[in-house]
Amino acid sequence: MTVRGLWIISHENGGNLSIRFSRRFSTVEHRAKSLAGSSYVAVPEESTFLQLLLTELGLSDSGKNYVALRDDCLYRPRSPALELHVDGPGKGILWPVLTVSQGPLILACLPLVDVPPDPRPPLASLLSVSQGLTLLAGLQTFLLGSGSKPDSEGLGSRLAMLPSVLLQVCPLGTPLDVPLPGTPATPTAPTSAGTQKQPAWKTGLHRGRAVVNVGLIETVRSMQYGNRSRQDLWDVYGTVTCKCEVEGVLPNVTVTLSLPPNGSPLQDILVHPCVTSLDSSILTASSVDNYDGSAFSGPYKFPFSPPLEPFRLCSYTSEVPVPPILGSYQLKEEENQLRVSVTLKLHESIKNSFEFCNAHLPFFNRDQMGVVDMKLSSGQLDVSKEKNLLVWILGQKFPKSREVTMEGKISFSGPTPGPSDPLCTKLTAYVKLHFKVPDMTLSGCYVDQHSVQVYSSAKPRIVTSRELQSKEYYIWNSTGTAPVSSGQMMM
Amino acid sequence: MAANWAERISAFSRRPSGFLSGTTAEAFLAELLRELRDDRATYSVKILLLSPLCEHPTLLCCSDSVGEETALELMSVFAQCPPKSVQFRCHLLLALTSVLICTSCVKSHSRASLDFLDVLLQIAQDTSDIHTDGSQRPLRATACECLRELEACCPGLLSQRLELLGGLRQQETSRLHQAYAELYTLVLRNAIYQLTQETGAGAEHLKALLGGNTSAAWEADQESGLTSSKDSAILSSLILGPMGTVPTLHTGPDCKELRSVLSTLLDESYLLTPLCQATLLHRLTEVVAMVPGVPPAIFRTHLLRLLGTSEVSLLHATLLLKCAFTDSLFSSEDEAFILKRLVVLSQHPLLSTPEKLFYMDCILHFPENRPISCSDGDETLPVLLTPQLASALVPTVFNDSTTLLARFNMLSLVYLEEGEEGQGGQGLAYLYEHLSSLLSMVENGCSRELVVTFFRAAFLFLYYFCHVERYSNDLTKQLCQLYFHHTKLAPHLINLADQTQDRLSESSWSVGLLKALQRVITEAPLTQLTSHDLSRHLKMLARVAEEREIIQQSTLTFLSSIITPSSSSLCIGGDWRLGNDILGVCRRLLVHPSLDSLLTPLADVLQLLVCHYADMEIQDHARLYYTLLTTLSREKLAGVLAQGMEEGGRQVKKQSLSCLMGEGLTSTLTIQQTETAVFRLIEAPPEPRAGDINSNEVEKGPGEASASVEAYRDQFSDSSFASEITLQYQLVHINSHDCHFDQLFSIRLHFSLTDHHYEELGDISVPCLLRERPSTIVQLTLKPRKPYPTSLHASAIFTSPDGRTWHTTLPDIHVAFQQTFLPLPVPSSWGRGGTLSVFEGLWDEICSESGDSATSLFCCQLKEAALNTLVEKHFFPFLISDLSHKEEFKVLFFLPPRSHILLKVSSEEDAVHFHIATDNWELLSHINSYLLKITSLQEDTLS
Repeated sequence: MTVRGLWIISHENGGNLSIRFSRRFSTVEHRAKSLAGSSYVAVPEESTFLQLLLTELGLSDSGKNYVALRDDCLYRPRSPALELHVDGPGKGILWPVLTVSQGPLILACLPLVDVPPDPRPPLASLLSVSQGLTLLAGLQTFLLGSGSKPDSEGLGSRLAMLPSVLLQVCPLGTPLDVPLPGTPATPTAPTSAGTQKQPAWKTGLHRGRAVVNVGLIETVRSMQYGNRSRQDLWDVYGTVTCKCEVEGVLPNVTVTLSLPPNGSPLQDILVHPCVTSLDSSILTASSVDNYDGSAFSGPYKFPFSPPLEPFRLCSYTSEVPVPPILGSYQLKEEENQLRVSVTLKLHESIKNSFEFCNAHLPFFNRDQMGVVDMKLSSGQLDVSKEKNLLVWILGQKFPKSREVTMEGKISFSGPTPGPSDPLCTKLTAYVKLHFKVPDMTLSGCYVDQHSVQVYSSAKPRIVTSRELQSKEYYIWNSTGTAPVSSGQMMM
Repeated sequence: MAANWAERISAFSRRPSGFLSGTTAEAFLAELLRELRDDRATYSVKILLLSPLCEHPTLLCCSDSVGEETALELMSVFAQCPPKSVQFRCHLLLALTSVLICTSCVKSHSRASLDFLDVLLQIAQDTSDIHTDGSQRPLRATACECLRELEACCPGLLSQRLELLGGLRQQETSRLHQAYAELYTLVLRNAIYQLTQETGAGAEHLKALLGGNTSAAWEADQESGLTSSKDSAILSSLILGPMGTVPTLHTGPDCKELRSVLSTLLDESYLLTPLCQATLLHRLTEVVAMVPGVPPAIFRTHLLRLLGTSEVSLLHATLLLKCAFTDSLFSSEDEAFILKRLVVLSQHPLLSTPEKLFYMDCILHFPENRPISCSDGDETLPVLLTPQLASALVPTVFNDSTTLLARFNMLSLVYLEEGEEGQGGQGLAYLYEHLSSLLSMVENGCSRELVVTFFRAAFLFLYYFCHVERYSNDLTKQLCQLYFHHTKLAPHLINLADQTQDRLSESSWSVGLLKALQRVITEAPLTQLTSHDLSRHLKMLARVAEEREIIQQSTLTFLSSIITPSSSSLCIGGDWRLGNDILGVCRRLLVHPSLDSLLTPLADVLQLLVCHYADMEIQDHARLYYTLLTTLSREKLAGVLAQGMEEGGRQVKKQSLSCLMGEGLTSTLTIQQTETAVFRLIEAPPEPRAGDINSNEVEKGPGEASASVEAYRDQFSDSSFASEITLQYQLVHINSHDCHFDQLFSIRLHFSLTDHHYEELGDISVPCLLRERPSTIVQLTLKPRKPYPTSLHASAIFTSPDGRTWHTTLPDIHVAFQQTFLPLPVPSSWGRGGTLSVFEGLWDEICSESGDSATSLFCCQLKEAALNTLVEKHFFPFLISDLSHKEEFKVLFFLPPRSHILLKVSSEEDAVHFHIATDNWELLSHINSYLLKITSLQEDTLS
């Protein structure tokens, strides 16, 4: 339930990966020594550690085509935990090194193995592994900040804050909490010395008018092949995010999710730890089960006591009968040009009012685009010749027919080759849709403003919202071979 | 100064060993403590200064007594620090905890550790700030965390404080109750563990423990506290899966008190952060497992909340709960539900990749209620994981590499179990299709990472399904085509052949692949062959030639066609590397079992090389092979050539394959790495002392002291004057090594520095090193820039009797401070009088100057006899005054390039005084530790 050390690696200004922060927990190391006995392997010094880690991650010697240590085909299972092969006097295998990486950052930690080390125990027997992962993920969120693009300046200043952050969340190697994103919490004024204990995850108390904000976002993913032998796929998952400003040490709030009549049940529900209790019927529906039609279909009540900061109350998946937009994409090779035909149909159940809707048509492994001659039934076309990319901007509305088409020819006669991709060769190509529809969900799930209950003296202001967005929404060219994307189609 | 500290501290934590080679641990520790006491330093700097003590306490405190002293120092800093510097005081507590635990002071119940424990308990109980601003809360939280760590490292330490801690936990209403709860559960868990180790302990003992009525349990506890702390078992988790056993405490069904404590803790666990909840849950799982009187059902009301959680550590703790109590807490429906949940989580779009991988690992080590086999640690599929369920986890090209491989592995296990019929067959077909689509991505030129992933997936596929010939044969075909278009994949393919051969010894797939590759290479038209392709082909053919079962005729035909001058320009080009590659193939053919049938074509190829290859060395080698082939009998030839290969066995093979340059007999061109150090350098014993050269009392040197100094200094106008020290080392074998390295020749030693205090060293050659002969003396000439102790990295290249060349690393050479001493460099004609006046001159100068000069006094208790021995033993070569002149010894150490340390040693009534004068104050700490060492040695030998 402890980690022996923590390392944070990122690109320096020059581009090389280097250790920007590290912390060893000597007392945990002391325990590691007595727990492992003769099989103890000490943690090497920073530069060695970095080298070994990069080799294991396949990031070392990037100039070389094949390096035996790095590229051996022998499968090393038990990921996400890596083995570092320490050479020299303290020879041995350092295990399990956990890593998470995102953007410019790699974070690593070494959990303590608190069960007999021989034979090597499964990761699942070490609680410190899941705790280590949580700590790393928390630090990652803290360091990268809320913005999707990390700035090196912000990263630097947040790295500088780490010593005082660690004093709070992991002073001696035992992770107690994850840092709050943003600035470290200033200790808030003590509360009236009541008998109710303040939750450790609540950094202070709210004073003032009660406001509860519940946002529901559904995300739809799809793979459409336009091919009889291949079933089209789509799935939907939703997240409910709350921001609650409610007075009291441990106020009670209940949010209820409801489905329209005949709505298919919400599946795979995961809840935030601040949810106080759950009804067993809420958890029964699962996406990996065969749906038997008898499952519970709401309302879904989530009683909880909110933390101060915004949080994800719950998430779910849902099975919907049709994809929101059905597309077909056909390419034909004609001498030095490509004949393109795209049709998109908006399903009648979907509200015809988008925040935006764009279709991206990238072309890989070809020369740069020359002449683009396209006819659109609606919207406008952006041509980016350097990227070999067409962006079809459909705007806020489909026409009344709910169907749009694009047809035409592209010649690839540019002087230089365009971008390449190992997957999209020959006629393997796709249209990728990006859209957002405010105030609707595919599953029909909604949060009724009146169903949000807050047990406190003052009458709260309650705001609810919902929206549908796309992610990984692909329509593959039906005249080429499309990659398989899920096992569900074969069973 | 502050910036300087930041730099130094970061240099230390980056590379502690390197940092400490430039100073000593004692000196650095002393500096840190001094600065910590300095009022002028800011607290942010002081917090920085504590980090070496937190992270590497044992490097700085070399012994328990130093640890104890350091702790006392830190505690006095703590006592004097104003309460408002909360952050600094928190870090101080952490540093104290680290020092005391790591130097074993806590284990031995040293005074400082007991004092510290009192301080911590006081802070933990001090809730006086509750009605004010709560500013001391972080300090209390840190104190609790320190107490928890102390208890974790020395289990049982706080057993007797259980009631006190329980009370504190209950009272606390601020967020701090978490820290008390964590501390309390750990102490509870350890105390109960100790009770299980005592014979006859039962319900009353448990009651006494919880009720704080410790008088009954006191003595027994204290005893066991000491004994069990030696045993690491108490540190281990008690939840070990089906094979683990848990020590139990037999209380009968009546343990109301414990039950109520546990219920309260569980009910309030909701108020803890998920990480702490998970820890608490795990500790309580252990407690309930140890006390069968408490039914596991106590957890039941919390299960739904835990099973629905999105927090990985909470769900993990729940899985461990299941592992501990199986069907006494979880029904079979629960089990099915949890497994489905894990499958869902393993591919959930909202979770991070490491979390998903972790859940997949949990599926492969699923704690089943009724496991069929008790395979420890091995991956096994839970019975309930049907192909239908697993199909949610099939690998796809959209997965990242690690996910892809983990899924590939899991699904392979699933389909292997199902067999080739029905769903298993379909699944297998899918996996193969997936492998093919990866292959086509490699074909289309994907990233390096994806290439490696493909080969790992291919290995996995073969590992499980090599026996399914329709796939494995097709894979061979596809790989051959792949190689044909991408010869740069040669090392990957060789690696795949090696690993499958290694892991699947009964399968002949690997030989089949090599055979097919041989065909691809030898049957392709030569016209478009680039030299890159050729080199890779030759490496591949060399690997093919290692297989006894593969017929090699076509290889020879290929060799002969590429070197026949009429059809190729290879010979005229005379590329040395390609020549070697060709010889590499030839060499393997020379030991091939079918050599008899290869004789004539092989001889022809070698002959062609001898006559036409435009590189002299290649010609020579080819000639040697030719001679061997035509003059030696087959058996002898095999004997001569196989030697190198078979002795080293697999290692040589691997080596030659992986670096793709290695080649048996051309070993003079290949340097191999020894696995461990073969020999080392140890300090040679001093030579027998030459007669006292300076017996000449006649004063020939310059007269007056100052003049002497001036004349002495003039010598340094030649910058090379007395600038080097020469150290004698013995080169000796390291024992217990194979006889392979008994005789070594042409050893070339190479040294590299670990700091900037010395000039680079030249290499040293030693003709031979034979185990049975006396060791060789090696003279190391060091040219200091600053005369500090240092370490040198040393490596060597040498030749073993079988003609192979090796590279080896020697253990580091440590140059002690005293090894940099030289006698005063004056002409021998100056005699004692001359040196004495230089001494006096320098002494006066140092005492009157400031600058870099410094004087100091070192005292110690030594009897007269002991002092004489010490002087004779350690100072004799540096003695300036006469040995018989016992009232005051004058000693001068000259340290190149320009430093001097002068000693006047005299016995005073209470102690021996070493008056020290030096023109380089930075040397003081070194001379101090040197004197400390030799005088304490002297004391030891006499006492």
